[in-house]
Amino acid sequence: MARKVALVGVGMQKFEFCKTETIEEMIFDVARNALEDARLSKEDIDAVVSGSAVDAFCGIVNSDKVATDGTGGFLKPTMRNSTSGSTAVSTPILGYNHIASGLYDIVMVVCYEKMSENPSAQAVFNTVYDEAYVRPIGLNVPIQCGLEARAYLHRYGLTERQMAKVSVKNRGNAISNPYAQLPMKLTVDDVMASPYLSWPVKLLDTSPVTDGARAVILASEDVARELTDSPVWIRGVGRGADSVWFMGRSNSNLGRLDYAYLAARQAYEMAGIKDPGVEIDYAEVYDPFTFKEMQHCEALGLCPEGGAGKMIDEGVSCKDGALPVNASGGLQGEGNPIGAGMSRLTWCYLQIQGKAGDCQVSKDVSTAVCNAWGGMYQYNAVMVIGRD
Amino acid sequence: MVMENRVCIVGLGVVEQNGDTPDFCHKELLFHATRRALDDAGIEREHIGGAITASSDFPEGRSLSNQYTLDSIGGVMKPCDLRLAEDGMHALFAGYLEVMVDPRLFMVVAAVQKPSERAGERNGFHKILTACLDPVYNRPVCNSVRHVESLEAVLAAMDARAYMNRSGVTEEQLARVALKNINNAATASGKPACTVEDVLASPERSWPMRDSTMAKERDAACTLILTSEKMAGKLKKEPVFVSGVGWSSEGSQLAARAHGVSRDTQRAAHQAYRMAGIRRPPEEVDLAEVSDWYAHRELIHAEALGLCAPGETASCIERGIFEHEGPVPVNLSGGLLGKGNSMITSGLLCVAEVARRIRGEADDAPRRKVQVGLAHSWGGFISPTAGVAVLSKW
Repeated sequence: MARKVALVGVGMQKFEFCKTETIEEMIFDVARNALEDARLSKEDIDAVVSGSAVDAFCGIVNSDKVATDGTGGFLKPTMRNSTSGSTAVSTPILGYNHIASGLYDIVMVVCYEKMSENPSAQAVFNTVYDEAYVRPIGLNVPIQCGLEARAYLHRYGLTERQMAKVSVKNRGNAISNPYAQLPMKLTVDDVMASPYLSWPVKLLDTSPVTDGARAVILASEDVARELTDSPVWIRGVGRGADSVWFMGRSNSNLGRLDYAYLAARQAYEMAGIKDPGVEIDYAEVYDPFTFKEMQHCEALGLCPEGGAGKMIDEGVSCKDGALPVNASGGLQGEGNPIGAGMSRLTWCYLQIQGKAGDCQVSKDVSTAVCNAWGGMYQYNAVMVIGRD
Repeated sequence: MVMENRVCIVGLGVVEQNGDTPDFCHKELLFHATRRALDDAGIEREHIGGAITASSDFPEGRSLSNQYTLDSIGGVMKPCDLRLAEDGMHALFAGYLEVMVDPRLFMVVAAVQKPSERAGERNGFHKILTACLDPVYNRPVCNSVRHVESLEAVLAAMDARAYMNRSGVTEEQLARVALKNINNAATASGKPACTVEDVLASPERSWPMRDSTMAKERDAACTLILTSEKMAGKLKKEPVFVSGVGWSSEGSQLAARAHGVSRDTQRAAHQAYRMAGIRRPPEEVDLAEVSDWYAHRELIHAEALGLCAPGETASCIERGIFEHEGPVPVNLSGGLLGKGNSMITSGLLCVAEVARRIRGEADDAPRRKVQVGLAHSWGGFISPTAGVAVLSKW
């Protein structure tokens, strides 16, 4: 029987275009912040789980191993997860397994990415595809997402202006976030006027290239109750992956993310949530592109399928709305250091604890959901956390 | 008593170079390994509850190399997918955790390595070796080695020298370790046996490292299927229990690592033995498959695993403790020196080999009864980690 697992501390750090610190220094910074937040020392850590998307970004093979000392993982069990963007949530899920299985009591989870070390993140992303069929046509993330966005808008009758509203909301929210890379006060017309990267995805629909790291500390029930009177529990986890051969996915329409629905269903079943639109108080949704926030809101059941346009039109997902989404600014506003998108989870934790500072939403938050999307654009990981 | 929370191996699938599948790509190698594992377990793809792969991007020449093979292992639209950028044995550990969390699952854990896709001297391994070092302190030093192709031999030689100084093991004794493994592999494949003179006559790369005391790369894929004891009871074959697991990492900086010893192996073994309830490894372990990436590493690891007393390795070699007919045979399969080093996949292959022998599927099964076996993996200089798994018949 799986044991209960709590989040007991988070380590934050400012996201930037180009950090001057090495990966080890970045990781040391967030790991220490998390230990201080949890009031623990590195000797208390039983095991370390680290996550980063792709080694080619920083040009170091097994890049977590050059930072073992920085995580406090020296001569301890360490394990590195890597599922591209979804590393952001699949890594804490691996940390959850370390404790839920009964093997460990306190686990440090560190996610990081140093993308500024290479001249083109998108050239790196081209190398994930098979060399015979897909790589030669030059496919990368914006191009694939242009195809997906077009299929999505067409399928549900949504518009580019609705996508633009997500960008305005998230970059505006980031103004209150001290760790944010791209806080901007924009209008929908500003976004609409930005150049196309891959129709219908525009520059201001897209998250930036970022350096950054995040850490969270997970603990078993006994330890969590000793450390705090208000533990935040991991109530549900879910993962789903479709075929990496995207032309042959089980779902022939790129506009619907079947694997994200699968991941969400598992997480909600585990958490005992039947109507996420009502039972979830707050969401940090993975938004590397604006339409991805819309797709993920639907897959997570925060609005009906095809209802994400109405959701943003009516301001439901705004900071003071009925179901705030990405009050931290999301990847659009806070920055997108691929693996360190675990920031989504840290902000859910901070909102539940009431420690989100200027990003704190006005409503009471007791249950929150976050997700991350990645792999070869076919993997989704979902985590539901909440108070007792 | 049938317990839900005991994890066991119910299926094995291995595809090795020079076998019947020489012309396959990554995905195909892993597909065939997985198909064999499913057939071995007597289950089908729809029974798979989750899938885990471990791999490292640079040696594979692609980013997200671990995700690339998802379809090959039946991981499409399964609930427990996990991709690791680790040594292959970590896939076993992650699978172990998954089954402990949800005992109803059949987990596929897999790794594949195809170094033959890489070009150049020793398949360009030295480029990967320098790229795994931190770019500020270690990499510039290593890049300044006069012939960078010899970097691996230089690093291994420093490690070997530190070990020889400490233990008194001689160059000839190292040659005998290599000889044992080469001949173990030769026996298995029916090739003629070598002599110590043959080993010592192979070209020296950086004293005391020779071609014959450094494992050469080869292609391989390995898939294991894990589940709980309860689920295993529904299958035809006897399961092999994973009774202890442990893993650990050495420090980040090359210069700060301990040379000539394996602290990470010691820590990993400590955890695995404690879980398995093993107090006197040489008496309780029937055989071990240990990483022999370099000949001296087999001895370092055997010592760190407690298979011989500290400082006793030299006398163990003289007494033939680790030999084919010795009391604690090490690397009966031939190990990496005998069969070749599949890097990421090697650790998982060790697990498969030990499981196979516990099942009694090896050629010498009638006269060698194996109850408890030990599998060990070491990530080499590219990934300073160690993993230990204790497997048992009951």
